[in-house]
Amino acid sequence: MTIPEDFKTRLKIAKSKIKKQLDNDDEKRGSFMGSAFKLGTELVAAVAVGTIIGFILDTLFDTKPWLIIIFFFLGAAAGMLNVIRAANRMQKED
Amino acid sequence: MASNPMQQFTVRRIGPEINIAGVDLSFTNASLFMVISATVIILFLFLGSKEKKIIPNKLQLIAEMTYTFVAKMISDTAGSKARPYFPFIFSLFMFVLICNMVGMLPYSFTVTSHIIVTLIMALFIFIAVTIIGFIKHGFKYLSIFVPSGVPAVLLPLITIIEIISYLSRPVSLSVRLFANMMAGHTMLKVFGGFVVSLGILGGWLPLSFSVALTGLEILVAFLQAYVFAILTCIYLNDALNLHH
Repeated sequence: MTIPEDFKTRLKIAKSKIKKQLDNDDEKRGSFMGSAFKLGTELVAAVAVGTIIGFILDTLFDTKPWLIIIFFFLGAAAGMLNVIRAANRMQKED
Repeated sequence: MASNPMQQFTVRRIGPEINIAGVDLSFTNASLFMVISATVIILFLFLGSKEKKIIPNKLQLIAEMTYTFVAKMISDTAGSKARPYFPFIFSLFMFVLICNMVGMLPYSFTVTSHIIVTLIMALFIFIAVTIIGFIKHGFKYLSIFVPSGVPAVLLPLITIIEIISYLSRPVSLSVRLFANMMAGHTMLKVFGGFVVSLGILGGWLPLSFSVALTGLEILVAFLQAYVFAILTCIYLNDALNLHH
């Protein structure tokens, strides 16, 4: 398959145009909204997981309700860690 | 008339009941729509790559665009080491995207609005990424739980927090997709119900809301597929390139 010369230059121009467009708009805005959706669940999920771990350990060691309280706060800390990480990642992307 | 906004999420059996060793394996409407989504993806990529022209037709153009989109996403977030996992992430992205989009059609069923579907996908990713990490780095992979530069007194506490943070990955991944899809579809149904109950006089306002929400839902359907895929890339990146 041979590529005609005139098509090559047209392809080049079209490519540079697309690159310019991609650099400034849509795609970036999309990923921003994506990261915004991310943060909320990131926080809640860690609290939920921490509490569940606390509950399981409590029933295992028969220490109700101490471990569930401790792990709730540890989960909250993990959630904040998650959010800080996600926010750092978002800043790095700029 | 179906006025219950949650009725759209009921899983119904289609055809005969299949029961193998006490496990209900019957074909349901959820399975039907998964099959439909998979067929749509296969047809789309098959037809899109059938004629390999230099100047592509529309279908080939869209197929190539999805390819470059995912390829760029992987190389941006996980680097060149993640190239071998392209087929997995591409199929994951396409499956979630098409399931969401098929769910936007009236009278259809949204597979991703069920937490069991998204949780299984997220757990599969979570376990696969953990195994990949252990294969690539051996027991050094456990150092992901021990960040550098932490005083020895705080180390046990930080390690527990890191483990909880790691375990929360599949939960946040699955809950995000499921909650977004379910909330959106419930809202659409509720506003649809308002249109009917307010009648021809007052129904125009909820109708316009419904139209706007449909547009928003299509955006959310795409975004959630994108977020699902990009987070898989990020987790894969953590497993492949071990550093914090």
